[in-house]
Amino acid sequence: MISRILQTILDVASHLKIKIAVIGGLALPAYNVARTTLDIDICIKIESQKQLNLFVKGLKENKINTKQKPKIDHDLFTVFGKRSEAEIWLKPCDAFQWDDQMIEKLHLFFGDVKVLAVEDYLLTKLARSDRSAVDIDDVLKIIIANKDSLDWKYFQFRLNWESLENDFKDIIKAFELDAKNNVRSISSDILNKFNNLL
Amino acid sequence: MDQKKLKRAPINITLADIERAYKKVEEFQRLIERGKTPEQIFKDMLRLIEVDQ
Repeated sequence: MISRILQTILDVASHLKIKIAVIGGLALPAYNVARTTLDIDICIKIESQKQLNLFVKGLKENKINTKQKPKIDHDLFTVFGKRSEAEIWLKPCDAFQWDDQMIEKLHLFFGDVKVLAVEDYLLTKLARSDRSAVDIDDVLKIIIANKDSLDWKYFQFRLNWESLENDFKDIIKAFELDAKNNVRSISSDILNKFNNLL
Repeated sequence: MDQKKLKRAPINITLADIERAYKKVEEFQRLIERGKTPEQIFKDMLRLIEVDQ
């Protein structure tokens, strides 16, 4: 059983055939990483204002309300349940929109909970306009935990797509630093996988 | 878009940062080895969020 607010949002989205994924810190366990977080962040793929209105109406019928009047060109809106709240994003990240490949690559975590592909999730962390040190920590942990399963070619495509190649090179420098100073092989493996793409 | 990029924190990763990242990944792996699943960890996080809110 997951929280009522999350289950209701998933149910309403499913009823309206809206693609939906958990994002933010709460999604981290799907990538074999965890940290404390205070937010429930969800992103939905909305096709029209009419569909968005139906979604908001469906939530309201289930006692989940918003004080905003969400518009299809907004980034996000906040909804409130009896005991909790959630932020519902209309795009995976404030810096970019959904695209078909991102939708195709949505990953079923468990039950009806889906998350972005790990490469797309990494992009949300690197591209967000208010990127913080916590986001960079998350990127490091995700790369370490997923170095063998990461689709490095697709990730490279996404980095180019958002012009983030140089940002990621700064992250790679950290693994170079580690490889020089420590005997563990994981950083060297990560460097090899990245360098094989160049 | 360019204005947004200006607000991003610069990436300055130290050896201590990367050491901490490795430790956190190991801690998660230990939880998995002890029988916790990522799904259970997700649900635990959700419960903590709801208590906080």
